[in-house]
Amino acid sequence: MESQIHKIHQQLVNKEITCTRLVQDRLNLLKENTYNTVNSLLDQQALKLANKVDAKIAKGETIGLLEGIPFGIKDVYMVQGTLTTASSDILKNYKSPYTATAIQKLLDAGAIPLVKENCDSFGHGSSSENTIFGAVKNAVNSNLVGGGSSGGSAVNVAKDYTVFSIGGDTGGSIRQPAGYNNVYGFKPTYGRVSRFGLIAYASSTDCVGPIAKSTEDIRIVLNAISGKDEKDQTTFHSDAISKERSLKTIAIKTVGYFKNFVENDALDHQIKTDFLAYLEKIKKTGVEVKELEFFESDTLVSTYYTLAMAETASNLSRLDGTNYGERLEAENLKDTYAITRSENFSEESKRRIVGGNQLLSQGFSDEIYLKGLNIRDQISNNFEKDFKEVDIILSPVTPATPPKIGDSLKDPLTMYLSDAYTVGFSLGELPTLTVPKGTSTGLQISAAKKNDELVLQFANFLNDLI
Amino acid sequence: MSKIMTVDILSSIKGAQPSEAVNKLFDVIKNANSNNTSINTNHNHVVSLNNLRKDEVINSSSIEKQIIIENFPKEKKGYLVVSKVIEE
Repeated sequence: MESQIHKIHQQLVNKEITCTRLVQDRLNLLKENTYNTVNSLLDQQALKLANKVDAKIAKGETIGLLEGIPFGIKDVYMVQGTLTTASSDILKNYKSPYTATAIQKLLDAGAIPLVKENCDSFGHGSSSENTIFGAVKNAVNSNLVGGGSSGGSAVNVAKDYTVFSIGGDTGGSIRQPAGYNNVYGFKPTYGRVSRFGLIAYASSTDCVGPIAKSTEDIRIVLNAISGKDEKDQTTFHSDAISKERSLKTIAIKTVGYFKNFVENDALDHQIKTDFLAYLEKIKKTGVEVKELEFFESDTLVSTYYTLAMAETASNLSRLDGTNYGERLEAENLKDTYAITRSENFSEESKRRIVGGNQLLSQGFSDEIYLKGLNIRDQISNNFEKDFKEVDIILSPVTPATPPKIGDSLKDPLTMYLSDAYTVGFSLGELPTLTVPKGTSTGLQISAAKKNDELVLQFANFLNDLI
Repeated sequence: MSKIMTVDILSSIKGAQPSEAVNKLFDVIKNANSNNTSINTNHNHVVSLNNLRKDEVINSSSIEKQIIIENFPKEKKGYLVVSKVIEE
């Protein structure tokens, strides 16, 4: 699909539409929508900003490419003065005191935030059903889940309620809902985009990234939000990726895929057939396709959840109702903490917090947590070795098609295992993009750390494939 | 006070019990390949100590301070109320 950002920019510059009309129309769509994608609308601020853009255009001033472009924000990012709930009871009335770096960069570029979007509470889920705002419905079939945890963001983009949305991806939370709703979703290299102002789930894999309808829009937004930030010590400097460079596809000579992903019994037959057929298509262009060995899915999922649970138990320990959030008073301090947390965290969040504390406790930490860290290092080393042999790794996004609403909550283990194809790339900190091609839930393109440009180049190469 | 800290105490969640689904994930790690499981990891995922930000106090803006106070769960006669602390 063509770039929506370029298209709307041109319409604004040519005065074919006003920014106020554009923003009001999208706000109306969001307000009336029945997909449960909205936690709160930022209508007043959005219209004020739109008015400023119109005034600028009327005066004949130049506007930037992102100026006036309406976008959505997963409800885990701080935007000063707005509610940031993480789709949870405990933060249902929490107001952001400051703005996340990635969002501030978009505001500085003139983009207009319309909505805080529904998601799994604290990112804890793969279906966007673990939320106090009602399960997000899939954009293609509303009986199915929207995916998660950035489900509201992916559905808003798919339905054209937002031009792009900023999601958060810890173990696949941008890529999987993008795949379920047939849009593009990018998890950049860990550290390329600042996490400052993102409510932390698992800090060592949390990534900020865009969901959009074209690779060009992904590129534009990625450039806007990337960069070193002294408020997030894990960030690094990165050069902007030019449009010209992103269209250079000659650098890709070899593509790898994980044999055991394809041979996995849990992989849907149709997804497998389509994936293999797509590899054949790529081979016909002269690109070499190589089979690679990788860790078993259950090892990947277990390693990811071990580390993520340990980190989330630690990150969410601050939520005790003392300084902010909903507080339930009890006899004394300890009981106040316990009742506040018992009543205000969802079952899934409690499961992860308890799991995390369990494995960090004496006796368990050596046997499980440290071993998990060790396996993570082995996974990273495996990727390093692979990227000496291939330029790109291609994989399915999910083993199966989206489940029906209600099914995932009944069976948490199955939900965890459904992340089998996304979590490995999170543990490896790799840039990974979901493209809505190849299989019914898309394809995942990964490159070596900090090689985000190559991912976009390969995505553009696939765009040219008939 | 008992020295055994159960997960409900560690998590500050009443009646919390380890979950069967989560235990199954942990079992996979326990039984994972044992030929390379020394706890001396390569620390591929740690932050460098070079180039840390300056250790200095930066004042919040007045709007930030105002929202922080607004977010406080309980206020009485201009004071922010916290729970009673008891010593055991």
